[in-house]
Amino acid sequence: MKSLVTRFFRVRELPVFIALVIVVFITGSANPQFFTLSGFQDVTLGVAVVAVLAVAQTLVIVMKHIDLSVGSTIGFSAYLIGDASSKGHGFWYCMGLALALGLAVGAANGFMVAYLKLPSLVVTLGTLYIVRGVFNEVAGGNTITEDMVPGPINFMGLNTFFGIPYLFLVAFVLMLVVGFVMKRIRSARDLYAIGSNLLAAELGGIPVARRVFLAFLATGAVSGLAGAVLLARFNTAAANSGNGLELSVVAACVVGGVAIAGGIGTVYGAVIGAILLQAITMALGALGIPQFWQLAVNGTLLIAAISLDRYLSTRVKPTSIMGAK
Amino acid sequence: MKKKYTFGWDQGVTAFLAITVVVGSFVSEYFANFDNLSFVIQDIAEIAIIALAMTYLIIAGEIDLSVASILSLTSATIGFLFRNGTSFEMAIVGGLLVGLLCGLLNGYLVTVVGLPSLAVTIGTLALFRGLCYALLGNEPVNELPENWIVLGYENIPGTFLPWSTIPLAILAAIAWIVLHYTRIGRWTFAIGINPEAAKFSGIPVARMKLGLFAMTGLMSGVAGVVYTLRFASASPDGAVGFELSVIAAVLFGGVAIAGGIGTLWGVLAAVLSLGAIRSVLQLIDFSANALLVVSGALLLISVVVPRAIEIYQSRRKSAFVTKI
Amino acid sequence: MIKKLAKVAAAAIVGALVATAVTPASAAVPGIKTGLKIAIMPKAVNIGYFTAWDKGAQKACKEIGAKCTYLGPTEATGPAQVQFINKVIQQKYDVLVISAADQNAIVPSLKKAKAAGITVVTSDADVAAASASSRVVSVLPAASDRIGTAEVDWIAEAVGKKGSIAVLSASATAANQNAWIAAMGPYLTKKYPNMSWVGGTVEKSTFYGDDDATKSTAQFAAILSQYPDVAGIISPTTVGVLAAAIEKKAKNAKVKVTGLGLPSQMAPYIEDGTVEKVGLWNPIDLGYVAVYAAARAESGTFKGTVGSSFLAGKKTYKVTKGGVVFLGDPFTFTKSNIATFKAIY
Repeated sequence: MKSLVTRFFRVRELPVFIALVIVVFITGSANPQFFTLSGFQDVTLGVAVVAVLAVAQTLVIVMKHIDLSVGSTIGFSAYLIGDASSKGHGFWYCMGLALALGLAVGAANGFMVAYLKLPSLVVTLGTLYIVRGVFNEVAGGNTITEDMVPGPINFMGLNTFFGIPYLFLVAFVLMLVVGFVMKRIRSARDLYAIGSNLLAAELGGIPVARRVFLAFLATGAVSGLAGAVLLARFNTAAANSGNGLELSVVAACVVGGVAIAGGIGTVYGAVIGAILLQAITMALGALGIPQFWQLAVNGTLLIAAISLDRYLSTRVKPTSIMGAK
Repeated sequence: MKKKYTFGWDQGVTAFLAITVVVGSFVSEYFANFDNLSFVIQDIAEIAIIALAMTYLIIAGEIDLSVASILSLTSATIGFLFRNGTSFEMAIVGGLLVGLLCGLLNGYLVTVVGLPSLAVTIGTLALFRGLCYALLGNEPVNELPENWIVLGYENIPGTFLPWSTIPLAILAAIAWIVLHYTRIGRWTFAIGINPEAAKFSGIPVARMKLGLFAMTGLMSGVAGVVYTLRFASASPDGAVGFELSVIAAVLFGGVAIAGGIGTLWGVLAAVLSLGAIRSVLQLIDFSANALLVVSGALLLISVVVPRAIEIYQSRRKSAFVTKI
Repeated sequence: MIKKLAKVAAAAIVGALVATAVTPASAAVPGIKTGLKIAIMPKAVNIGYFTAWDKGAQKACKEIGAKCTYLGPTEATGPAQVQFINKVIQQKYDVLVISAADQNAIVPSLKKAKAAGITVVTSDADVAAASASSRVVSVLPAASDRIGTAEVDWIAEAVGKKGSIAVLSASATAANQNAWIAAMGPYLTKKYPNMSWVGGTVEKSTFYGDDDATKSTAQFAAILSQYPDVAGIISPTTVGVLAAAIEKKAKNAKVKVTGLGLPSQMAPYIEDGTVEKVGLWNPIDLGYVAVYAAARAESGTFKGTVGSSFLAGKKTYKVTKGGVVFLGDPFTFTKSNIATFKAIY
């Protein structure tokens, strides 16, 4: 029993979870509306897109890499889905298109990082620009309107399952699946090894290049498919959709304990981190902090969250899957 | 082996710059005149100034994503102080001081608190930008003294060079000499190549890094002054996204993101090249969207080409070896 | 007698033929030089509203026989526009019609353009009043207070003239929106005593969506969450009002929404009753009139002085204080007329 309790307190995600509870409590006290079902739905709906992307980004960050192209990819994908649908194509065709885009970007990133061994920051920054440029050219001044959104996507965006918005369920289920895979399936656990100590991983026989490539491919695929989530959430898409999302996603991961230094952190933490950041933004409003100060306070809290996580990580046993004692 | 191709990349960027200018003059009649060149220099002045400091930082193995926000905060501070009665000269000093303080904050969070610079500067990016809004609200300051504004967009009398060339040239010269010919420069490389070894050989790593961040903040501040004068106004939403341009220029200039490699001339040539090519493409009517794609492509080329050369060279070398 | 008339007629016809042959490329519109090279610069090129604005500009260009190019940055910021203004200077355009992305940052560049001999006219968004000398005239939709007060009227009508309201604007530094919002405050207090602002004053009740769909949606949700009893939301920006309508429908919220909306984008929400009424001027007209004003100024037949007027197509427009030309009050779009307008812009 004692060891269970001790293990609980050493869980890496605990600090960020506690922070979330505190923020929720503060927001709720300032605005009781927050504790109602609609308040819950506000938060979960608002966080869905970032949460999905954060789950994917975790795969990449634990390997000590980063993928900055996700914002451009998800935006372009959302636009393509709406555009194809408006030209009469069916739901599966549109989703196939979105997946194809995601896979293409992921494969390009993966090839350059895994096989050419190029730094992921540079590569994904380059693909960010290229995808955005192509996207802008294709989209021009057009806007996807609600009638162009495929039926199933529209349904998902507007409805709830026993009170929980479908979009959040998508993120939640994705988190459970990927979380399970990363803990139990050998080839996924290798990602942590690659991030902790690349040389040891190579010497230990892990096919590093293949793992890295597949991880970027997966991230790209998720970003592509997540275009449906973006479209469902906002019922619109245009040339500037998705701009800047990458920073929010990275912030969510870092706050949730997925260290930039690699080798540590889980998708559960990433999602909690995303929810925490969303809750903070809502808290600022609820507490009546003047509009012009909100961004500054947001930035300060982000720094505080990262600092806190760093401080506690030196005191907490890391959930590195390599079984650190 | 690596040192060899760094010089190669240097020459490569210089060649690229030369080719761009020459080709540019042929494909567009509007490119190679003094007016346009003056504009290109003005266009890249702020990015170049910040890139000088960012070069050191990346060579030392760190990064700073908040530079654009520091630039804007400096500008906002100048506007705020001036609007509230301070003399413009004092406002500039105040702005530079703010830039320095921002850099020190970044440095403190990285060296003392021990946070990864990529993550922490995402936070300070938001914080500093937020402070711009806190200072100016939704009212940009636009009545700045005429004699200062003139420096923003006029040329040095008798030449085609804009006034901003002066701070740029002086700072570039200093940065170049320090990086390649002084102890501080050598230390910067050492820290980037192997921080542990650097520490053990007596280099004050933490203090150096703190200093580098502070310098980056100060340079962003200088860029903020130039920016304010060029646009004759101080606004809270200035320079959004600049940090990516600075980093792209530094990387295109041959500085390795992993640290330990790079030259200052490479970065300067890269900044000038990017400005020149942007100008050429615009003048031959490339759309703004196409420019985005080109920027991304250049960035990728800047890392793919050296790697391709490396692979080719190592293949040749191993072929050589097996012959023996 | 008839012979004499015939001779006169013949002389007249020959004279006319000679005149048309001699006049360089017959002036399609009298008083305007033909063959002018005109740059049409929006705040940013990938925005639907400006595509419509350009439509009007291109129409005018065809009528006056000018060569017009639509160009601009991908992000609606001053510094980005400055690069394109320089291109216009370098490529020796005759005229620049521009919607100012930043009322201050582009002023030095516009002055440079003016010094290089280019006629500058702003349209849709002007430079700061203090820098009015950097352009000949500005063609704007309607006086700020007219746009602001009209929107208050629309929301008051929708909420039954009582309740509290909020504003979902563009960016905090957007000069247009700020001017319109400033007019809303005193007007509400004066004309609708039973209505109030959610935050007490209009400043405290304004939320900034930055003309970004994501942010605007988030801010709409924030308004509802902070002020659950809000009766109405005014959104003086096409991106904002669209986001508000979408979100209102998605959440089945009771709050009334109105603002400045593009009929083509807002049509579904007006048709299904989510939004009762929105309004907008016609961006096509804005572009059209601006090109005429600029072309006439470049041809020397129009100086842009206060009180002077000029002909654009079939209508005459007058220059008011500060060198501004107003098009007229915004149109309103409701169920009755949305079908016609949604096809136009």
